[in-house]
Parts: sequence; C-alpha cells; structure tokens
Amino acid sequence: MRAPLIIVGVIVAAALLVPPLLPWGYDVIDWNAVRAAPLTGAHPLGTDNVGRDLLARTLVGTRVTLGVALAAALVSLVIGVAWGAIAGWVGGKTDELMMRIVDALYALPFMFVVILLMVVFGRSILLVFIGIGAVEWLTMARVVRGQVLQLKQRPFIIAAEAAGAPARAIMTGHVLPNVAGVAIAYLLLTVPQVVMVESFLSFLGLGVQEPLTSLGIMVKEGADDMDIAPFALILPGAILVTLLVCLTLAGEKLRDRFAR
Amino acid sequence: MIALILRRLGTAIPTLFTVILLSFLLMRLAPGGPFDGERPLDPATRAALTSAYGLDLPLHKQFFRYISNLAQGDFGPSLVYRDFTVTDLVAKGLPVSLTLGGLALILALALGIALGLWAAVRAGGWVDRGVSMVTTILTALPSFVTAPLLVLLFGLTLGWLPVSGWNDGAPLNLILPVIALALPVAGAVAKLTRAGLATALSEDHVRTARARGLSPARVLLHHALRPALVPVASYIGPAAAGLLTGAVVIETVFALPGLGRYFVQGALNRDYPLVLGVVTLYAALIILFNLFADLIYGWLDPRVRQ
Repeated sequence: MRAPLIIVGVIVAAALLVPPLLPWGYDVIDWNAVRAAPLTGAHPLGTDNVGRDLLARTLVGTRVTLGVALAAALVSLVIGVAWGAIAGWVGGKTDELMMRIVDALYALPFMFVVILLMVVFGRSILLVFIGIGAVEWLTMARVVRGQVLQLKQRPFIIAAEAAGAPARAIMTGHVLPNVAGVAIAYLLLTVPQVVMVESFLSFLGLGVQEPLTSLGIMVKEGADDMDIAPFALILPGAILVTLLVCLTLAGEKLRDRFAR
Repeated sequence: MIALILRRLGTAIPTLFTVILLSFLLMRLAPGGPFDGERPLDPATRAALTSAYGLDLPLHKQFFRYISNLAQGDFGPSLVYRDFTVTDLVAKGLPVSLTLGGLALILALALGIALGLWAAVRAGGWVDRGVSMVTTILTALPSFVTAPLLVLLFGLTLGWLPVSGWNDGAPLNLILPVIALALPVAGAVAKLTRAGLATALSEDHVRTARARGLSPARVLLHHALRPALVPVASYIGPAAAGLLTGAVVIETVFALPGLGRYFVQGALNRDYPLVLGVVTLYAALIILFNLFADLIYGWLDPRVRQ
C-alpha cells in the first residue's frame, strides 16, 4: 500500500506546488513554440497545438481533476454514511425501503443520469461534483449499513442503550467512530471512480469547461492532435492512468485490511 | 423459470417508467430551449415551432403524449437533425451499438474467464500475482485513454488497422473499438472468475470429484467452473451498463455512427427528444440484460430458481 500512496503523494505535491514556479501559466499561449517537442527550447515537456506549456497544463489539470474528485467523493461520503447509518440503525420497514431505493438506483444507467443533469443545469464545475457525488454514494451506503447492523449487536452499544444514552449520542459517540475506518477505505476507492467519471464527462465536452482544464480535457485535446504531436496525449494519459491505478491499489489494500 | 421471468418483469416495468418520467421532468426543467440559437427567432416563428412540437401544452399532457407515442414506437422528432425522427436515428444507431457491445461482451467474457482460470490453476504463483496486477490495471484504465493510445500504436504508428470509421461494419474497422471497449470489463470478469474458483475449488463436491480420481482438467472445467461463474453471471447486468457507457466514448473516438454518438450530440445541442429517447432505450437495454443475467444465474445455480 505504501508505494502507490507515495506515487499519488508526489503527483499531488507537484500539482499543488510546482505551477507557480513555472515561467508559463497553463493558459498562456507561446506563438513561437506551437507543438514544440519535449526537451527542446523553453518548454521542458513541450507545448500543445496552440502553444500552451504542457507541463503547466498537465499539473493544473491534475489539480482540477483531483479537486473535483475529492469534493465529489466527500459529497458521496456524507450522503452514503448518513443514508446507510440511518437505514442500519432504524431497521425494519425504513431500512427495507431505503435499501430498495439504493437497489433501484444501482440498476439505473448512472452515467446517463449525470449527463442528463449536466444538460439540464448547464455545465458548471460545481454541478459536476455535486452530480457525481449524488450518484456515487450507493456502495458507501450499503457498506455503512452493514457495519451499523453488526455494531448494533455489540455489547458496548447495547450497554449504552441500557444506560439510557440518547440515540444521537450513541450515533456520534459510538457508531460513527467505529464506521470511520471502513468509510475511509471506501472513500479512497470512490476517488478513482470519480476521477474516471469526471474525465469521462470532460472528454465528451460535458464536464469541466475551457479555459479551465482537467486531465480529461487534455486527453481529448491530445487525442484530436495525436497524429502530429502524440506527446500531448501520452503525458496527461500517463498521469491519469498512474493516478487511477495507484488509488485503486491503495484503496483495495485498505479495504481488505478492514475486511479481515 | 417462467415465474422468475414474470416476477422480474413486474419490477422492470415500473423501473423503466420511473426512468422515463424522471428524465422527462429533468429535460423540461432545463433552462434554455432547443430554439435558442445564435440568431434570436422571430416571435411568431418561435410560437409556431413551440406549438408544432407541443411544448406549450401542460406538463402532464406532454408526458402523456410522449408515453403514448413511445408505446407505438414513435420517439418524436429530433429537434436538431430536422429531417429525421428520433426513431430514424435510433434505428440507424442501434445496430452499430449492438454489434460493438455484443462483440465486446463476448471478447470480455472469453478473455476474462481464460485469465481467471489461468490464475486459479497457478494459485499463489507468479502467474497468479501477475494476472492480479494486470486485471487491476485493466479495470482502472479508462477506455477514453486506451482507445486513443491503441489508435496511436496500431493505426498511426504501425499502420496495421484503420484509425476510425464504421465502413459498414468491416471486421478490420471493428477490431480496435471492440478491444478498447472490452478490456475494462475483461479485467473485472477475470477478478470475479479467479475469486469464484478459489471458493469453488475448496468445496466438498470438488474434493469428492478429485477423490474419485477424475483428471484435474475435468475437475476444474466440469465441477469447479460452473459454480465459480455464478458471480460472473450476476456481473453481466453491470457489465452491460459499463459497455453502453463505454460505447459512448468509443463511438466518439472512432467516429462510429452508433447510439452513443447521437446521445452526446443530443446532450451538447439540448435535443430533448433525442436524449430522452436514447436514455429510455439504454434503460430498457440495461433492464433486459439484468433479466438475461438472472436467467443465466438460474441456469448455473438451480437453487435460485425458487
């Protein structure tokens, strides 16, 4: 688990710290160096089809992609934990109804729901992550519910109930702290999912909008121009794939640790 | 078996109705209309267009009109492709998407089950670890990255395969899109097969089969694989959803005239009837595939038929 997280850490640190140090902004056009190859001239990793510095764009795009992903994952965390905890704690008919809704939503083509939301409410970055977060909470809700159901049987919770502690206090003091570990593991697994959805939408032109950039937009721009300047596709693609693989590997390891 | 099908249909139809209702309401809530172009329309023209498409009726009447037309196979007119109805566009796009998705599903199942079997036979060894690594990478690789990279390698650099286009479904044109679409699903299938086999190989009936002196290959293929494929069968529903979603990107990358491409064009142009029609069709397809998965499930594991 260590190695993938270190790689993610290095990419995040570079995306946050390096852009202000670069001579070129991510949206500054250098007419003297259109489609410059890497390691030639003033641009260390070359430029894209209109002469914008690829290193700066990739780092800023990574920042936007991860920022959207984190925000959306947090939205899904809040909805999922609340939904799952209530269903598991209240139980009975409420639980059944709430989980039926989750099952029904699972069957929906959720990517199309997000696209529908983008079409309807316009393409704003705020909506991108609210929309993604609103459809990515289902697994979290299921996992949290399972945990809460198990916790309910544990002696310390029964003792707290017998001692007359109010439900709210048991929830915040005893249940949620014990759910936190698993929730964090699934949060880590949700992040790559969300990165994938965001890039997918941006790739189709339905997500993050120009002049802001994201890895999805850069892959799209690179793909349109790859017969002349393939590096503009390879660089953002490689960063995106590395992030996805490392986050998935780390999340799976963490989840397996809690499953035991 | 028939009872199972009827029961599934009993939940499938309300689900489909809900999808249609929700997407219909969402589309009507949208600010901005299909007639908001670069040049503002003359008010009389706008009023005539609005009433011609029935957009001035109360919402419930519009919905009723839409549903009753839908039941007769009429998805309404496309607002952007003026000379076509949505039904025309769907009829043109569906065969392309089904060919692409069907071939990708077959490839993904074949490749995934083969990889899972290989890893399970060599459990614990370097093949097992390698397959596990490869499948994780496959599931994490988005098709919109693999597709352009495959085109770059096989289409542009090596020049072995066509870069894009449908070309009436010529096999050479299909190879790259099908592979790019199938790879993530193949990764997931391999993981499920490997995990299912690990459980199945430790079960009593497999031990008995071994004790009776059956050959290892026969034990694996006849006694362990069938129960191991149960989780794979239940994954066919989500896999179909994944393939349909992936096809949207693949059709865009390879310029294939499928449903996904019309969907993206419709979404970018606010072509309500087109987007609604395609979403309805997608939902119906996904529900159909879930039903199909349930049937395979029942065939593989007789216990669930009751």
